[in-house]
Amino acid sequence: MSAPDREAGREAGQDAGSGRHRDRMIGLFLLAAAAFNPPLLGIFGVEGRVLGVPTLYVWVFGLWAAVIALAALAGRTR
Amino acid sequence: MEVGLDWTTVLIAALAYLSALFAIAHWADRREAAGRSVIASPTIFALSLGVYCTTWTFYGSVGRAATLGIGFLPVYLGPTLLMLLAPLILRKILRIAKTQRITSIADFLASRYGHSPLLGGLVALTATVGVTPYIALQLKAVAVSFDALTGGGGMGPAEGPFLDHGFLIAAVMALFAIVFGARQIDAAEHHPGMVAAIALESLVKLIAFLAVGLFVVWGLHDGLESLFDAAAARPDLAHLMGSDPALGHAPGGNGPWGAWVTTTILSAAAMLCLPRQFQVMVIESVDERHLDRAVWLFPLYLLLINLFVLPVALSGLLSFGGRIDPDLFMVALPLGGGADWLALLAFLGGLSAAAGMIVVESVALSTMLCNDLVMPILLRTRSRALARSADLAPLLLAVRRIAIVTILLFGYGYFRLAGSAYALVSIGLISFTAVAQFAPALIGGLYWRGATRRGAIGGVTAGTLVWAYTLLLPSFARSGWLPASFIADGPWGIAALRPYALFGLEGWDSLAHSLFWTALANIGAYVGLSLFDRPGAAERAQAAAFVDVFQSTPNGTAPNGAVPLREAPPDWRSAASVGDLTRVVARFLGPQRAERAFAGADPDEPAGPERLRLAERLLAGAIGGASARVALASSVSAGAVEAAELLRMLDETSDVIAHSRELERKTAELERATDALRAANERLTELDRLKDDFLSTVTHELRTPLTSIRALSEILHDDPDLDTDQRQEFLAVIIKESERLTRLINQVLDMAKIEAGALDWRIETIDAGPALTEAVAATEALFLERGITLSVDIPDRLPPVRGDVDRLIQVVVNLLSNAAKFTPPGGRTRLETRLESGFLKVTVTDSGPGVAAKDRELVFDRFRQSGDTLTGKPAGTGLGLAIAKRIVEHLGGRIGVADAPAGPDPESGKGAAFWFTLPLAANTADVPEFGVRRE
Repeated sequence: MSAPDREAGREAGQDAGSGRHRDRMIGLFLLAAAAFNPPLLGIFGVEGRVLGVPTLYVWVFGLWAAVIALAALAGRTR
Repeated sequence: MEVGLDWTTVLIAALAYLSALFAIAHWADRREAAGRSVIASPTIFALSLGVYCTTWTFYGSVGRAATLGIGFLPVYLGPTLLMLLAPLILRKILRIAKTQRITSIADFLASRYGHSPLLGGLVALTATVGVTPYIALQLKAVAVSFDALTGGGGMGPAEGPFLDHGFLIAAVMALFAIVFGARQIDAAEHHPGMVAAIALESLVKLIAFLAVGLFVVWGLHDGLESLFDAAAARPDLAHLMGSDPALGHAPGGNGPWGAWVTTTILSAAAMLCLPRQFQVMVIESVDERHLDRAVWLFPLYLLLINLFVLPVALSGLLSFGGRIDPDLFMVALPLGGGADWLALLAFLGGLSAAAGMIVVESVALSTMLCNDLVMPILLRTRSRALARSADLAPLLLAVRRIAIVTILLFGYGYFRLAGSAYALVSIGLISFTAVAQFAPALIGGLYWRGATRRGAIGGVTAGTLVWAYTLLLPSFARSGWLPASFIADGPWGIAALRPYALFGLEGWDSLAHSLFWTALANIGAYVGLSLFDRPGAAERAQAAAFVDVFQSTPNGTAPNGAVPLREAPPDWRSAASVGDLTRVVARFLGPQRAERAFAGADPDEPAGPERLRLAERLLAGAIGGASARVALASSVSAGAVEAAELLRMLDETSDVIAHSRELERKTAELERATDALRAANERLTELDRLKDDFLSTVTHELRTPLTSIRALSEILHDDPDLDTDQRQEFLAVIIKESERLTRLINQVLDMAKIEAGALDWRIETIDAGPALTEAVAATEALFLERGITLSVDIPDRLPPVRGDVDRLIQVVVNLLSNAAKFTPPGGRTRLETRLESGFLKVTVTDSGPGVAAKDRELVFDRFRQSGDTLTGKPAGTGLGLAIAKRIVEHLGGRIGVADAPAGPDPESGKGAAFWFTLPLAANTADVPEFGVRRE
């Protein structure tokens, strides 16, 4: 069980380092919450296809993937 | 459906798959025991969160997509949003759970609100009732997919009210859950084997879903484009590709609105509050940092498993129209397409999802029911019987197993009762709304210190009651168990109480409607009661420990100084014997103290709360409160020592001790600095006083000669007839007084220069003899005038010294004039020199009153006057000796005063011997830095 050791190392660095990370994630949350909700979904819920796939479907999954990628990036470049 | 697999094949495959899962779990448990954990990986952690995706996802999403288009998505967007807030919320929950040793969400809430057993029991009960429909959903999904796969009713005689598929599945699942989660009692409620199996299960259902999706899109159709083209050509399907159905705008009408937002909020709350999510995410978490990867990996998992939902739904609708329940498309499409093996894989994926959900959920619920509902009641009502029992583990296991069976029976009962009236997702959302009732108390408890136990109990109770009225009872009504008029007209025909349109709130989606009312009741009661509540000290301390978890010190003391809880652990595990306590106390305090503390008690006797408190106090004195609790708990639940945890706490305790030592050291330093400052201040005040004295002395000294000069000058001026002798005498006085003034002013200036370090020094090798002679010559008149005998003893040849001739003369003149000043008329003064270990020592001895021992240091201070002892008023400027001291020290010598040795005036027996030394030139090679001052 080396968990306690790793734990100890984290204490000091955590607050300074993750403050920005935390803020970024909150920003990302707000962005995603806005984008995944009716007003913007309604705009994309129109006729039309992108490469044969309905616009709405592309929008939702594309956005979702982008949010995930940004979350991963935010964690990496803290 | 025309084709189907042989039901025995399906059954064997299912059992084989479940056995494989169990084997994995067993293997993981063994690895864990051997110290090579397989679950200590962020990827495994993220995958285990995939237990969120149940048959609801696997079958239900397709069904929902078949009516709502992308309306199945909020259930996954909610958790995605929640994971984005993981650094804020989840990290805090994880930390708290670790420090407070939380075993379930009921335990978490109970601990937060002052270790309230009532709240714990309430949450456990609510969770159990709330999740029952969800378990029913799993049973239904497995049952109907089994039927779909085998062509329906394939199990022959196994039909009947209590022996249908659902019951058999429930029985198998119960067995499975018991085998997984309730084989043995683990103090920390860790189930590494279960987590490993869940992670694998998550992978299997993802692969199964993707395989079916790929088969449908590229096997049954020519890719996405042709599939969507085909769907777009059908007017009844085209609208599914838009946002209208999902957002609650049915084509051509205003449908109930709010479903999208409601579902997003509910699923985010459920991700946090569902007992199984709390179990895998918080309780089973082995490392806080695993969250960092889960933050994006788990949403990615959700995205992947949802990628093909709409295509499968559209394809199913194209292929089967309304002939087959859309919830079953996942099995029906491969089967219809002739890919029997893929259908079997899909069934296994669904089974996987169901098994994972049921196992984790029932384990989490049974832990809750056991720890927070049954055991507290048993402890209260049967405490004596329990205290007699040496080993409580069998009882606990029995309670948990019964709980698991009961939970599954409830689920089965609901499935029979109401299951057929709903699509899968609708059933699940009822459960989501129930567990969402914990969210206000949970999140509020993390950030709002003022939230109280009564508020939490009130909030959860109110929310749950409203939930039962607006969602649970109507579900019974819809399945015919209650009259249908209950929904349509309200109970007893009161329209205002219609459960789907409470107080006339119409036109809402039933979920949104329920969420609104439950949130209103829940948050309202929670906030309202908390605001008007006065929690006790223990509850406030617990609140602070949760809210300030990141600032709290290791031994559990909140930063505001709140006292950590010192009550005996309410935990049932504390049923320890006196022997146990003696051993653990002895381990930390030595055997003597342990023996003394528990003297006279039978080691096998149960300890009881009094002795537990004593032991905890003893241990807390040695290793701090929090560690004491852990030490006690570990000693008591044999085998669950968790040495690492204990060591960590011990480490932190010693950290604290080191910190306090450091603090003490700094305090001492501070005190010393304060003392020094005070001394400096006193000295400054003294110097200030001396300066004032000096100024008055100097002005006096300046005025005296000035007065006589002026008086005599006026006489000379006014009286031109004065005779020559008289005139000469007066002029002589004027000259003498002017010289005195000049000397005085020169001394003041010299002193100022020396003080400022602005004096010009010409230090060189000199012969001291002529300098001394010159000084004597300069002061001879003084002695003569006062009738003092000055004897000088300077050898002809003195060794050369290092010094400044002018300054040396000044020193000697100062000493001689000092002697002249204090030697009474008729007395003697003597100047002599001596060689003393590399120095030339010059001594001026007088027969004056001498210098008292206490004044010997002070006479060399500037502005010091010692003349008052003789004449009652200062006899000089007080600068002569101070200047001499500074010059001598600058030249590398020392200066001092002693009693006159046998005196030049033996009769008086008094006299002072002022001496100073100068370094010999030959000596300076060894003492190059003789210019250094010595203070």
